[in-house]
Amino acid sequence: MQLTRSEIVEELKKILITSDEKNRALVERCTEDWELTTDFGFTSIGILYIVIAVEETFGIRFENVSMSDFRTLGNVVDYIEEKLQ
Amino acid sequence: MHSPSKEIFAKYTDPETFARIQDFETVTQMWERSRKEFASDVAIEDNGEKYTYAKLDQDMAAFRTVLREHTEGEQVRVGIYSPNCYDFVKAYMAVVTLGYTAVILPAQLPAPAVFGCCMKFGIRTLVYSPALADNLSVVAAQAPHVARIDITSGSDTATEAVACTGKTPCVIMFTGGTTGQSKGALLSNEAVMQGTVNGCYGYREVFRQRYLLVLPMSHVFGLIRNLMTSLYTGSSLYICRNNKDMFRDIAVFKPNILVVVPALVEMALALSGKFGRNMLGEDLKTIICGAAPVSPYLVTECARYGITLLPGYGLTESANLVSGNPESLTHTDSVGMLFPNQEYRIENGELWLKGRNMMTGYIGEDEDPYTDGWFRTGDLVRIDEDGYMYITGRIKELIILSNGENISPAVLEARFDELPFVAASQVFEDIAEGGQHILALEIVPREAGVAAIQAEDKHAYMMAELNRVNSEQQGHERVSRIEIRTSDFERTPSMKIVRYKKCN
Repeated sequence: MQLTRSEIVEELKKILITSDEKNRALVERCTEDWELTTDFGFTSIGILYIVIAVEETFGIRFENVSMSDFRTLGNVVDYIEEKLQ
Repeated sequence: MHSPSKEIFAKYTDPETFARIQDFETVTQMWERSRKEFASDVAIEDNGEKYTYAKLDQDMAAFRTVLREHTEGEQVRVGIYSPNCYDFVKAYMAVVTLGYTAVILPAQLPAPAVFGCCMKFGIRTLVYSPALADNLSVVAAQAPHVARIDITSGSDTATEAVACTGKTPCVIMFTGGTTGQSKGALLSNEAVMQGTVNGCYGYREVFRQRYLLVLPMSHVFGLIRNLMTSLYTGSSLYICRNNKDMFRDIAVFKPNILVVVPALVEMALALSGKFGRNMLGEDLKTIICGAAPVSPYLVTECARYGITLLPGYGLTESANLVSGNPESLTHTDSVGMLFPNQEYRIENGELWLKGRNMMTGYIGEDEDPYTDGWFRTGDLVRIDEDGYMYITGRIKELIILSNGENISPAVLEARFDELPFVAASQVFEDIAEGGQHILALEIVPREAGVAAIQAEDKHAYMMAELNRVNSEQQGHERVSRIEIRTSDFERTPSMKIVRYKKCN
């Protein structure tokens, strides 16, 4: 799958919104330096949703890492970008 | 006082199956039936391997030999410190069928806490997973008398199971209790067996089912309702080792019954909507849901996929489920009818319980959890004319997160209050800007403590220290937002802090 960084960010934002529709306003104005737990307030189940949805959407596997290894949204985008190369 | 009858659940199961749901006094007696009746059936699937009931029985017998080589005497307490895996099942069953008491240590416990548990609960033998071996350093240094056994160990010699009684201690499980302070609840053999049998009431297909295990076996919902009821009913249990692989595992194993917390069901439904397919699989017929309030939305939404979601209610102290809702579509917000072999009464709205399923007591605690033989649950309930129970509130101030974890604000606050610049603190459930429920912390600085800070940016220093303490908490206990107030909290006339109620 060939995607630009901005396309990855957009797909990721869609996942964040579907993880909880109440996130919409927050996600629409977020930037890559937003922190997953403090800025978005994701619970462990919310983060699990994101992991599974990212794997399904991008056709990748998180290997030897967990979402707690990612501090910001940008960190997640970096990882997806690297796995897609 | 009321004593429910098992007959109220008879109509939900065919008569022949219902007649097979029998009480056992001990785990050993139950296993004696399962190992004979289901010998060639698969008991456990884990990490690509299938283990029949006969194979599990053989491995339990070998592990009993290993245990005997390291322990002597009766009613020995054996710690089990391992993530979910086949060897956990083997070790746990070997311990309890020897008449010993299994102390289930959550796999996320750090090294000092493992040592603390060994001391507090009188653990003489610690069975550990090699994956957690690094966390045994404090036990090895401070308590060399505690025998340590690799959970993958075996023996060429078999040791027979030991007969015990229903009153023989079986397992010590961690609980937040009704106050949120972590405690060890001691469950007897008959309590564990009653909890196990309670898992058989209220649905049609009971025996030889296909279960998926996603809950940790350090929680009663995972150990008793998931593992024990699966073994009791001759079912196959597929161990999901990583929750992120849950839906891949479902596609491979095709479970027809799932035991989960409501947040996981919510997530599965959201993913099904996003990807336009039933992520729970076409074979899944029943979901047993509990450990946190179950939204009626989940019941009706699951029904759209042909899945019956049965909410239940239980406590660690009651060996898991005390009620189940077999008619969730018509009583969507009920936790169901109370199971048999227990008595209940409602005092000032609070549910009080007694029965063979109730714990013997808390280990290492001075408090007597019983009032005239009754356990006060701390839950406010009402029961309608059909016998269906509804949870209406909590007496205590526990915060119950969406994943079922209990948070005691007072316990967390005490940890932040240890910082010299904190005069007062409050941990509470809040609603984030996006609508999510989060844990938040506010503190009131202590002037003298602030004055003693050497750093140029005192606010940044305080935030860094608060974040440090926060990062030392277990994952589910960490707050998502920290604020340093410029004024005191609102106080009662007796100067107690008025607690926020932002999510009630």
